[in-house]
Amino acid sequence: MLILSRKIGESIVIDGRIHVKIMRVEGDVVKLGIEAPSSIPVHRQEVYEEIQRNNQQALTKQSTSLPKLTKLPKLAGTVKQVI
Amino acid sequence: MKCAELMEPEITARTPHTNMVRIPTGLLGFEQIKDYVLKTNPEEAPFAWLHVGDDSGLAFVVVDPFIVMPAYLPDIPKVDADFLQLSEPKDALLLSIVTIKDGEQPTTNLKGPIVINRHTHVGKQVIIANAADYSLKHPLPVAAE
Repeated sequence: MLILSRKIGESIVIDGRIHVKIMRVEGDVVKLGIEAPSSIPVHRQEVYEEIQRNNQQALTKQSTSLPKLTKLPKLAGTVKQVI
Repeated sequence: MKCAELMEPEITARTPHTNMVRIPTGLLGFEQIKDYVLKTNPEEAPFAWLHVGDDSGLAFVVVDPFIVMPAYLPDIPKVDADFLQLSEPKDALLLSIVTIKDGEQPTTNLKGPIVINRHTHVGKQVIIANAADYSLKHPLPVAAE
């Protein structure tokens, strides 16, 4: 792992197009400013891990019985397209 | 790409449907499983089944997120829309994975829906750009017995 020291206001550049800047340091919280092309998704790592765990909990058998839902008036109505 | 409601989602179609769905990158945590069978039955709406495409008998229960939350406005990152070759929102079928556990209220994941191209039947689990606005465990309103 590459470890770099940066001061507030300094940046690193990844692949010539992703800029990560140290914005602020407050106690043990570091605020990062990230500039990347819109084609590059940026997410907190926890989001991936949470979804992974959630998927594993959701995997079930084909014989599972489905819950009966209430308060879904839209199901009876017409589904329209709104863009 | 902002995905709003879908036109005539298959999940609420009037007749049962079975469709092969290819998820080339797998679901998060299940990257090795790429072939699924989407089974919808009007009697089970708004739920549908995403069966693992082998003989394991395993499946995910999925739901139409726009029925669960009419104001749902997922922002599909451009890289994912490009990967799925989506040119407009109505090309996409969105499914949210449902978690059903005994004795607990069922929930659905609105942060990471499965987005399927209706024409190619290729899908991907997408972390929406506005994931922070939605819950990983959005509670489903269960009818009283």
